[in-house]
Amino acid sequence: MDIKKVLNEVTKEIEQSSSQQKLQNVKVAYLGKKGKITELLKSLKDLSLEERKSSGSKLNYLRIEVDNLIKNKFNDLKIEEINSKLKNEYLDISFPPPNSIASKAHPISKTFDEVITIFGSMGYSVAEGPDIETDFFNFSALNIPENHPAREMQDTFYIDDKDKEGKPYVLRTHTSPVQIRTLLNQKPPVKIIAPGRTYRCDSDSTHSPMFHQVEGLFINENANMGDLKGTLIEFCKQFFNVQNLKVRFRPSYFPFTEPSAEMDIAYEIVNNKIQLGQGDRWLEILGCGMVNPIVLENCNVDTNIYQGFAFGVGLDRITMLKYGLTDIRSFFSGNLNWIASNGFTIGDF
Amino acid sequence: MKFSYSWLCDHLETDKSASEIGEALTNLGLELESLTDYSEYSKFVVATIKDFRKHPNADRLNICKVDDGTNTYQVICGANNVKKGLKGIFAKDGMYIPGTQIILKKGKIRGEISEGMLLSERELNLSDDHEGIIELLDDFQNGTSAVEALKLNDPIFEIGITPNRGDCLGVRGVARDLSAKGVGELKPMNFKKITQKEFASPIIWNINNDDNSCEYVVSRYFKNVNNSKSPEWLQKKLISLGLRPINALVDITNYITIDLGRPLHVFDADKIGKKLDMRLSNANERILALDNKEYTLDKNTTVIADGDNALAIAGIIGGDYSGCTDDTKNVFLEVALFNPNSVAQTGRTLGINSDARYRFERGLDKNMVIEGLEYASYLINKICGGLVSKNIEAGKLDNFEHKINYNFDYFNKTIGLELDPQKQIKILEDLKFQINKSNEKECEVLVPSWRNDVKNKIDIVEEIIRIYGYENIKQSVPSASIDEIDKIDNSSTNKKFKSIKKLKKTLISNGISEVITFSFHSIRAQEILKGDKSLKISNAISDDQSYMRNSMIFNHLESAELNFKKGFKNIQLFEIGPIYNSSQSQENILSLLISTEENINSIYKSEEFNFYSLTELTSILISSLNFDIKQFNISRSTSNTYHPGQSAELFMGKKLIARYGKVHPLIMEEFSKLKNCYAIELFFENLPIDSISRANKINILDSQFQFSEKDFSFLFEKEQNLYEVQRYVKGLDKNLIKNVEFFDLYVAKDLGDDSKSVTFRVTIQSKEKTLEEKDLEQLHKNILEKVSNKFKAKIRS
Repeated sequence: MDIKKVLNEVTKEIEQSSSQQKLQNVKVAYLGKKGKITELLKSLKDLSLEERKSSGSKLNYLRIEVDNLIKNKFNDLKIEEINSKLKNEYLDISFPPPNSIASKAHPISKTFDEVITIFGSMGYSVAEGPDIETDFFNFSALNIPENHPAREMQDTFYIDDKDKEGKPYVLRTHTSPVQIRTLLNQKPPVKIIAPGRTYRCDSDSTHSPMFHQVEGLFINENANMGDLKGTLIEFCKQFFNVQNLKVRFRPSYFPFTEPSAEMDIAYEIVNNKIQLGQGDRWLEILGCGMVNPIVLENCNVDTNIYQGFAFGVGLDRITMLKYGLTDIRSFFSGNLNWIASNGFTIGDF
Repeated sequence: MKFSYSWLCDHLETDKSASEIGEALTNLGLELESLTDYSEYSKFVVATIKDFRKHPNADRLNICKVDDGTNTYQVICGANNVKKGLKGIFAKDGMYIPGTQIILKKGKIRGEISEGMLLSERELNLSDDHEGIIELLDDFQNGTSAVEALKLNDPIFEIGITPNRGDCLGVRGVARDLSAKGVGELKPMNFKKITQKEFASPIIWNINNDDNSCEYVVSRYFKNVNNSKSPEWLQKKLISLGLRPINALVDITNYITIDLGRPLHVFDADKIGKKLDMRLSNANERILALDNKEYTLDKNTTVIADGDNALAIAGIIGGDYSGCTDDTKNVFLEVALFNPNSVAQTGRTLGINSDARYRFERGLDKNMVIEGLEYASYLINKICGGLVSKNIEAGKLDNFEHKINYNFDYFNKTIGLELDPQKQIKILEDLKFQINKSNEKECEVLVPSWRNDVKNKIDIVEEIIRIYGYENIKQSVPSASIDEIDKIDNSSTNKKFKSIKKLKKTLISNGISEVITFSFHSIRAQEILKGDKSLKISNAISDDQSYMRNSMIFNHLESAELNFKKGFKNIQLFEIGPIYNSSQSQENILSLLISTEENINSIYKSEEFNFYSLTELTSILISSLNFDIKQFNISRSTSNTYHPGQSAELFMGKKLIARYGKVHPLIMEEFSKLKNCYAIELFFENLPIDSISRANKINILDSQFQFSEKDFSFLFEKEQNLYEVQRYVKGLDKNLIKNVEFFDLYVAKDLGDDSKSVTFRVTIQSKEKTLEEKDLEQLHKNILEKVSNKFKAKIRS
């Protein structure tokens, strides 16, 4: 038996197998139950012990060799087959995707979030009140009597429907009614902020009939005007992200606070852009003051024990300043180009 | 409130500059709105063009020899009014030109040296005039400052007066406040009272009104006056504020209104009756006022009248007929105290904003009634001559007396600053408050007559800190206490805002952008969506903003249409905000709109957006709030906003949780550009907030044993609620049935009109073992039997 001859023969057949099926046939023909090599191995039992030894090891070598050759060929064929399949699966990778515009959160949402976080870190929880208010909550409880010139500071929207006192409902002109609602519901100490929608009948590039404010109220036994000043400066530093912030507190008038103040922050124009923090021009940021004892008494708070401060910040205004936006009307236009340009992606929000 | 520097100096002795005074005004709470101050223009001087010739390289330019009194300069000038001998205003090398905001540099223009510039009015920010250079008509010497030559030496202040500070609606009041701040000394009033009053006024007063709208009026009659143009000093004052001089009598009253903040009125005595009434108007009484408009009055207006004729609207405006003209010979001067409330009400009703109304409604200094009368008499007599009558009066002039008990500690406690009682007293005295009794702890303060806004001890604190200076308040930041942090953690509103943020993030990550639209509805939206009619805005700015919205969908369709016009084809937007069901019911909801075009992109998008895509999105949103859409009760929506066959509502008990579907074709008629619009309204406030804000609420079974799947097909009644079927099947064996997924729905004629064929796949898996075939078969059989019995469903093979 010429093992070399068999090996040559089988190697040739393996190489010539062009498919896995043909190779399988070769495998059966040699290594199958009745295959040539199998038969040879079977015939060993008829030989003498010595011959069995020498032929046996040779035959075994042949079997292993052939088995390896077939395995390798199988592998080659598989790769060849997949490769030829892949050739038919080529896509046009350059076909452009449809245009997409990033979906984003409105800048006001970002401001709401930051305001809640910054004041939250100072211990303020969030409170709410309705947009449609009674005359009592929006005006008289806040020490703004009827016919008082202070009412004309705010251009009020009225609703046809009338409240229990027979006065027309108003769209709240500020978030201050939440002060009253909270104090009537909750005993001091009170430390809240109330962000929300507010309304005045006014419309141009810096006034919108609807806008946003956040109210702040802190009532306890000793909250004083120094605390008010420190709190608001800290807020502005964090919100505008300016550590070196020049501010100005100046006397003002709101019927519901006494003393009242307005806070300005300094700015300068650098390369035609507003830069906040330094300079000799001033931007009005917010109104604030010590809560007028008359207001506390309207809410049944004992002014011999309690005092505190309140503030109101225009959220659209500080958003515009922080991000350099110029027209408040674009905030509420629903223009997706504007949102895509000025909004915040999920990672930034 | 506007006044000039020199006018202020009539009342205030000061060496402070205009800008120093401006800063002090702001620090007093009299916010400086603008200061027109040209004092820096003194660097620009008068200069004469000695000679000029054409520029050799430029047709329009001239080379001028300019003399500024010290030197002669070569100046290239492009103005068309250049001529020999012209006197203009000259700026030298290195000077800042305010109108162009550049610093002038010596240099060559087209090859010829230019050493300065002759200025136009625009270059000095004086006007928009840039037609040529300034040409002075008077013969000023070269080198005279531009401030003098152009008469710019009187800066104009414009300040904002808050409604509480009626006392500062006169120049004198402003000066008084400045003097308290240490800016200067208040000068005494400098005029002589009329002592010769020999005759009684032929006109008398009668106050006859029910509502106390006038408590006091006093008058004098002036005989044989000569009314003509005011003297130059008076005209100049009025002109400096942009007011037009009319005639001496009228100018005097306007002057005193601004100077003392005291409105008063002059009647031509020959045009009115002998007995004047202060009375309420008759309904529909008419008056032609000095503003040349005719007003129809209601029954609540106080008028000054002779008999049936209304002559003036009290405290607001005089009548045209009885006004003083150049021909006026006899004058009746009226100084009154009107009730601020009734003046405010009348003014608002009639829509008249006059200087008088503005002052009356803020409350006047009672002591200024007689002072005003005397000052006006003095001026009338001095300027117009004639004889003055004795006083004629009606009503009663009470003394203003208001005392406040004040303890010095109150300042320290309120402001957080220790201020010595002596310093507090000093400030109050500077403000002309009288300290009656005082000890170390407290004092009694008498409020000056012009400060009717100072009512309580807190107002005293405000006065002291206002003068002491807000800049001296020490700042401190009260940090968060443990109790406060606890409150925040437990606050349901804080939790709600957190959930809203979570919802927004989910929406954005699903490709939907956030918008904020107005809380309003247009008239058309209100008609279509049938909101509460009582939510009409009585004084709406426009038809687009006439009602409070009861839905956001209309606003969002408008946004979608706007964006469509900008070229967007697939629009996905959302808003989280309020809708209003009545004046006492507002809820915050999420409203989302998806508007899709016909899909033309065969490569990237294989399917059109439809109701089921929308349901899937609703499900994702609800999952992000820790709920499962399938746990709610589903029913068809009856809202007329939606397509009746392609919309649904989800309920939790009786509470509406969500409504979603295709927008009703009738609404879409309004938005013809948009094709398929779908909306979701999520009433998240109706979900229990604690479940929403809890993290990791849902437990999902995770087993290592083999699972098995089996499909079931049934023929159900057409309106069978499949959420119920799903819940029922899942409940048949909570331990083994892991999932029930519906994946095929077949509705066709051959099934009959009342049936639908539905296929679902049940995933079965045990936590404890790999299930044997017989267990599985038992469970399959159970499902088949129970579902067909429970829902009267036919089993399909």
